[in-house]
Amino acid sequence: MTNAPHILVIDDEPQILRAMRTILTEKKFQVTIANRGEEGLALAAANPPDIVILDLGLPDMDGIEVCARLREWTQIPIIILSVRDSEREKVAALDKGADDYLTKPFGIEELLAHVRVALRHSAQIKGRKESVVKAGDLVIDLARYIIKRGSAEVKLTATEFKLLAYLASNTGRVLTHRSILTHVWGEAEADHIEYLRVYMRQLRKKLEVDPERPQYILTEPGIGYRFIADE
Amino acid sequence: MITRFPNSSRFFLNYLLGLLTFSVSTGILYLLRDILDTPLIALLFLLPVGLNTAFWGLGPGILTALSAFLGFNYFFIQPYYTFTVHQTSDVVVLIVFFVVAIVISQLVGRAKAGLAVATAREREATKLYELTTALAGLQDDQSIAHIVAEQTLQTFQAERVELTARSTLKNISLSLPEATAASARKPELAAALQTVRGALGEIRVWRNQSLNQPADDRLLHTFASQGAMALERAWLTQTETRAKVLEESDRLKSALLSSVSHELRSPLATIKASITSLRSGDVQWKSSAREDLLAAVDDETDHLNRLVGNLLDMSRIESGALKPQRQWNLIGEIVGGVIARIRRAPEQHKLEVDVPEDLPLVPVDYVQMEQVFENLISNSLKYAPPNTTIHVSARKLNETTLMVKVNNQGPPVPQEHLDRIFDKFYRVTNADRVTGTGLGLSICKGIISAHGGNIWAENLPDGFAFNFTLPLTLDGTPPPRLPVDSETI
Repeated sequence: MTNAPHILVIDDEPQILRAMRTILTEKKFQVTIANRGEEGLALAAANPPDIVILDLGLPDMDGIEVCARLREWTQIPIIILSVRDSEREKVAALDKGADDYLTKPFGIEELLAHVRVALRHSAQIKGRKESVVKAGDLVIDLARYIIKRGSAEVKLTATEFKLLAYLASNTGRVLTHRSILTHVWGEAEADHIEYLRVYMRQLRKKLEVDPERPQYILTEPGIGYRFIADE
Repeated sequence: MITRFPNSSRFFLNYLLGLLTFSVSTGILYLLRDILDTPLIALLFLLPVGLNTAFWGLGPGILTALSAFLGFNYFFIQPYYTFTVHQTSDVVVLIVFFVVAIVISQLVGRAKAGLAVATAREREATKLYELTTALAGLQDDQSIAHIVAEQTLQTFQAERVELTARSTLKNISLSLPEATAASARKPELAAALQTVRGALGEIRVWRNQSLNQPADDRLLHTFASQGAMALERAWLTQTETRAKVLEESDRLKSALLSSVSHELRSPLATIKASITSLRSGDVQWKSSAREDLLAAVDDETDHLNRLVGNLLDMSRIESGALKPQRQWNLIGEIVGGVIARIRRAPEQHKLEVDVPEDLPLVPVDYVQMEQVFENLISNSLKYAPPNTTIHVSARKLNETTLMVKVNNQGPPVPQEHLDRIFDKFYRVTNADRVTGTGLGLSICKGIISAHGGNIWAENLPDGFAFNFTLPLTLDGTPPPRLPVDSETI
């Protein structure tokens, strides 16, 4: 075992695998590749990686099922790869336990940014969970229910705080509409996307420098929201 | 309407009535025998003959003529109460009377029969007129078949009418009235739906046997041929429409192919040239040339990706697979996201957004609406001169409609192009001058239509605008108002 983070890439396209292996190895990651779902699951079980990068369109089994099977025994971060216009598929995979997604084609900067978020998240699972989140001039103290913008304290309603707390404790990760609604409003309200739209606008008005062009609370079109904090 | 019901009792009644009229008039004339001249009586005797023929028909008329001849001879020509005739002049009167009586009854009877035929013809013509009027302008084969069956049912006072027809396109089979079960007995009347190209099917009529007349068969055949013609016309039109659609889609496919191969090849050419140049080692590792080539590859890859995306969207719109997932969304959030993405590119234009805070939630597919805004804004960026403003605004038009405007200060588009700019591959300017697929605006139109809205373009005094409307209700439900908690923690 080296100290380099171990990434398992499951994809059926040889060209993508070749490129990923070259680029990630170059970036000092330890890379294992699999071109079938079953093979990927077996490799993950034999030598648990730090991150799984999973293509949703596999020949032998549904990528969403691979997510579900991995989640039966491990919480290692899963980044799914998928094509444009398959929001429903992405949302299904995210709801089944995937942590993040990337839309093909993607730039390598984008891939590395997502890998970094996933590694941080992986570290969080293993140990300490930070209770103070910083994003720009925002300081969110989740344990003490205090939100400050610069030196001024920001007043939030109970629902707004619950929403922000959920976002901020999952910084950098994409959270689906359903998961936010279930977490903040409860299972019964999981389809009321309009709650999210309205409350997110309120939160942005209180937290963002320019609420029309948010920097912290980002909309993931058709999927959910993502909170961006300082690295 | 005597001729319509020629049953036997009615037939005898007519003769009886004829004889009765004759007897009454003989009685009256008998009483007046002494004051009237014989020729005058003969003249008066013609009256019942004419009347009987007119009222009861040719048969009773001739019977009356014969009876009048005999009665005249018996009661009014001396010697009375015998059929013998003494005077020669009386013989002449008698013969003339007989001839005149027969001729009159013949003439009146024929006129009457002619009238009956004319009435029947007129009825046929009226029914036929009604049928053709009902069929005129109908293009739908099912409704044509239905109208033909319905009119047959009424005209023939039928218990049941069945119509079957088949073509290469489809089969039609219907019976009226709808509730009745199929009849076991053979239809009383039947006619083939005959056209030049053979029989399309058949029309069958079940009715009370006693109603049947020779003319009915002819009328049914006329109905059948009218129906067959209408059906054939409808089917020919359908075939023609299908052929036109195929032709049009063929034309579009070849337009697509030529546009696509051009559009796909040009970024590929750039990528290939840049990459081979970089691999050849001619370009120094650290140089601006290398940076330029790499940037070109990056840009062209994005362009290719957009192109493929647009083509997929277009094919989805055309196959009807583009079903919006309509949910309650905020227009401001959608526009904000699009502008944030566009703003990554170098700024040559000013972007202004005017979406009121109190605008209701709008039932739209977030991802698709993003695409509409992105396409409209990037189209404006492409055509509006640098350092001008692009203005996006949304207003509630009324309780059920939202109106969105994307204005720019670009050049006006000639009136004749305004409608067509939303067509596929339609370009106002020369395709070589501006990059794109010619698909962006037609995708917008497809998405807005799928949402139940309208999109159009207009020239403004100081620029150009895209406008579109969106319904504010989702399956009849108005935008929700949310409970807002104001208490802070």
